[in-house]
Amino acid sequence: MTPLLMVIVVLAGGVLAGVIGALTGLGGGLVIVPLLTLVVHLPLPEAVGVSLLGVIATSIGAAPRFVGTGLSNVRLALVLQVAASSGALLGALVAHNIPTKTLFLIFGLVMLYSAVMSFLPSRHDDAGAPADSPLATRLRLASRYRNDGGWIEYKVQGVAPAFGIMVGAGMLSAMLGIGSGVFKVLAMDKLMRLPFKVSAATSNFMIGITAATSAGYYLSHGEVPPLVAAPVILGVLWGAYLGGHWMKVLPVQQLRRVFAVVLCFVAVDMLLKGLGV
Amino acid sequence: MKERLEAQRRRITVVILRLSIGLAVFSILVGLALFLARGAVYFPRTPSGRIDQILIYIWSEARALRPSAFMDAGILVILFTPLARLVSGVVANARMRDWLYVVVGLLVVGLVTIGLFTGETGI
Repeated sequence: MTPLLMVIVVLAGGVLAGVIGALTGLGGGLVIVPLLTLVVHLPLPEAVGVSLLGVIATSIGAAPRFVGTGLSNVRLALVLQVAASSGALLGALVAHNIPTKTLFLIFGLVMLYSAVMSFLPSRHDDAGAPADSPLATRLRLASRYRNDGGWIEYKVQGVAPAFGIMVGAGMLSAMLGIGSGVFKVLAMDKLMRLPFKVSAATSNFMIGITAATSAGYYLSHGEVPPLVAAPVILGVLWGAYLGGHWMKVLPVQQLRRVFAVVLCFVAVDMLLKGLGV
Repeated sequence: MKERLEAQRRRITVVILRLSIGLAVFSILVGLALFLARGAVYFPRTPSGRIDQILIYIWSEARALRPSAFMDAGILVILFTPLARLVSGVVANARMRDWLYVVVGLLVVGLVTIGLFTGETGI
């Protein structure tokens, strides 16, 4: 592949990742890492390093929409971020000490899990938790968000178990170059019983910081080739902008399912690579 | 007073985010333009090293108008944006005398900084 063709391919891949991320909520890492490893044939650590920058771009691109809405619970994000960033540092270290085949296997399994979650009906607990847990009270995590002109107050529970899950989510993010948003939202939605919109916006804030923790590690180990990372960042920002506009006119639910089917096929390809087939 | 500080915090956050996106996109576009102008030939990747060493390397490459320097600059802007947002949050919490979240914020800043400064000395 010539350098020019490579730049065009990764730019297009970045746009696709940004559009899919904006439309379906599934992270760009699930598009970028397979593209860079299976199509561009980049070594996995470099694909992960580049993808983490794409994840930060996704987070930054979406963040201005949430400022002032109260949807992103910054206090909660900071508390959970201690766990996620610790996990990310650990994950970056572990990723450099385990066989690449094992990483491909883990990636394939995480992709399959994300795809399956996309097919399951989403039953969100709009009422939220009935009362704060003692730890949530001490940390002042209850808050409110703006919805249809009014403010909705909510309580928080399950801080400790969610903290534990965030360590794992941070590790996976650093090892595989993904945002791990699917795990973060799951912990906040099901364990902490936050309103879904709050979970999604808080997770978006967190994925950027988690990715920055480990992306610095990859960059300082010379695993972020600028000729690949720069077009990916540009593409993701552009794609997120386009996706935000197309959200109103495209059938998002159907797109999410189509993307999940594609994810399954790519996951099988990654698993086979992991098994050495 | 608290509402005024909160509004100020929101304004600063939006400025950081928009400025970062603008700077990164501009820098990457300059890098891509130079890449095309120089015949779209492959260039070596940024060597490993601590972020401060990489910054010095980028500066020397930028003076020679090498495309990789501008692309790397855009990458670093994106990489440092979450940290800038965190630091501005810590300052805002300190102004509101919310010491618990000053400490929690500093802890996260510390963890992100460790990730940035644990590179190999390859330069």
